[in-house]
Amino acid sequence: MTPLPFDPLASGPLLAGAVVATAASLWLLLPNGRDTSSARWLGTLLGLGALAAFILAGRRLGGVGEEAVFLIVSLVAVVSAAATIVSRSPVYAAIWFALTLAGVAGVLLVLGAQFLGVATIVVYAGAILVMFLFVLMLAQPAGLAPYDRVSNEPFLSALAGAVLLGVLSLSIGRLSAAPAPCCGVPSRATATPTAGTQPSSDVASESTTATVASSVAPAIDPLAENHVARLGGELFGRHLVAVEAAGVLLLVALIGAIAVVSRGEAAQAAAASPSAGRSAAR
Amino acid sequence: MNALTPFLPTIAALVKIGLLVGGLMTAAAYLVLVERWMAAWVQDRKGPNRVGIPLTKIRLFGLGQPMADGLKIIMKEDFTPRHVDKVLYTVAPLVILAASLAIFAAIPFGSVLPPLGIPGLPDPVPFLVAPGLDVGVLWVFALSSIAVYGVLLGGWASNNKYGFLGGLRSSAQLVAYEIPLGLGLLGVVLAAGSLKLDAIMNAQAESGIWYAFAQPLGFLVFFVASFAEAARLPFDLPEAEQELVGGYHTEYSGIKLLLFLVAEFLHMVTAAFLIVIMFLGGWHLWGVTGSGQEVTWLGALVRFGVLSAKIFGVILFFMLVRWSWPRFRFDQLMNLAWKVMLPLGIANLVTVATIEEFRPQLVAALGAGPAAAIALAAPWAVFFLGWIAAGMLTPSGTDNTPIRTHTMLDAERSLRGQDLVEV
Repeated sequence: MTPLPFDPLASGPLLAGAVVATAASLWLLLPNGRDTSSARWLGTLLGLGALAAFILAGRRLGGVGEEAVFLIVSLVAVVSAAATIVSRSPVYAAIWFALTLAGVAGVLLVLGAQFLGVATIVVYAGAILVMFLFVLMLAQPAGLAPYDRVSNEPFLSALAGAVLLGVLSLSIGRLSAAPAPCCGVPSRATATPTAGTQPSSDVASESTTATVASSVAPAIDPLAENHVARLGGELFGRHLVAVEAAGVLLLVALIGAIAVVSRGEAAQAAAASPSAGRSAAR
Repeated sequence: MNALTPFLPTIAALVKIGLLVGGLMTAAAYLVLVERWMAAWVQDRKGPNRVGIPLTKIRLFGLGQPMADGLKIIMKEDFTPRHVDKVLYTVAPLVILAASLAIFAAIPFGSVLPPLGIPGLPDPVPFLVAPGLDVGVLWVFALSSIAVYGVLLGGWASNNKYGFLGGLRSSAQLVAYEIPLGLGLLGVVLAAGSLKLDAIMNAQAESGIWYAFAQPLGFLVFFVASFAEAARLPFDLPEAEQELVGGYHTEYSGIKLLLFLVAEFLHMVTAAFLIVIMFLGGWHLWGVTGSGQEVTWLGALVRFGVLSAKIFGVILFFMLVRWSWPRFRFDQLMNLAWKVMLPLGIANLVTVATIEEFRPQLVAALGAGPAAAIALAAPWAVFFLGWIAAGMLTPSGTDNTPIRTHTMLDAERSLRGQDLVEV
């Protein structure tokens, strides 16, 4: 029998060990009552071990690539994500989260999704997180309250997160290790070679008739020209309803925010009016 | 030679990065000198004109001044106050400088070189560090929004009220003006049909109509917003000296302060690059540069010179404005962003989108000439309409008499929730 890249017997214990180590490390590192430096050191070491085990298991499962840049940016994303949840200061957590977003954007860029990568930075790091930082810096000039410095249920959250991580990596590894389904199905993208150069409505209608997304995806070179134009064609062709629905939802949220603000002003005016009326009567 | 071939694109990129970073740093140093000359000229002084070649009596119009300034600020004590957050205090200037340098990965600084004939290199060689990036405009936008972190963190980590106020003001201002900036960008992107800055320049060169003429409203909105994004006067509230000492870099000294100042200057240079590339035709000049992709060595040099001259002109304008306008007040700043710039930007975007949508029908119905005339006239009509509307409605007009909606007594009443005896 030919050796399959996926070998559950060998990678299973490794993955299980990685999951357990992740849970223990997160539990030790999460901000809770008993903070000692030895616990933190142990947690950091366990976390590094878990990271190495995950990389090894991912290699065996075929989910982790070979490129150095990919490894670096994904390590940055994972480590800074862990630092986000274990850091004691909300401002530092926000900065770590910004680094996480930069790592994720790097992963997307390496994978060829240029628009998504840059849009991640513009939308999340550039707008939303700056707002977070703004509020955090305004909200706590006198230091943290005690309930801000501990995490609720550190044990359960560490356990749940680690289990989720294990299950996800197992299933993704299974998917990528399984004999690729694309080769059996005649790909639509190879049947229509002009798809890359004509990112207009006919491509979109082609894509709507295509039954499975995964049958189209592998045949398109993501680094090819007209990346954004094809993404736009896809968004406003096949996913038009979703885009419009999201737009309407955002508009509703905007109007709702304005309504809430104006109601607050009205309430303030109403609260101020009795005294005004009385002083006028005097 | 064969062993070297796979590394040639990397080497080419490194050479471009070296040229660009070296050129930008030198340019920033000498632009400070130009700014001081400009200030002296406006204020009827002589300005820095003494420092020349060291240890000689040669003055050279003061061209040695940037070296002396740089040496002085580097040799100064790099003092870290005890009350700061040490990590973020150190990280903030690095973040802002790194972001403002990395922006230039997607900004072309010329047209193309003639084919070199070296195997392994793309022919012709573009004046661009990352020619494969399909989302150049968005890259610029993303990294300029990262620069906010440097300002915000610098202000917060300083643990100083002036620094903190400067950081807060700055982040509010930068976030507010990113929206008109993006609307101005979008009009150009729609008209050119590409997010690549070099493609945008090529589109203007081919049609011969710069987008400043085709989209006057978008040009105005983008120009004002880029002044605000670069935090230049009249939008320099983040570091208003008279109110905030030095704003977010009050507590900084020595090389860290230098990093902040260089990054600020680079923001202005970036803004000038973007204005020229997106609205003023880039390297294109009628009758001088040609418009195609085939160039000789002389042609490539001329294009580089035209682009640099335009950028220098825009920077001079930035500096002249600094000494011509008073600073906005914060509410005026916000009114201008949300009540004037945002509607005007949307009007421009709608106009451009409508024209681009119906251009084929227009050409089919009227012929190419009249269609082009209409496509050029309609934005100008919208421009003047928008101008008149903004002038008549005066959404940014402010009444400077103090507003007393309720007195201190009312405020105290509502705080305590009880009636107070008026005295």
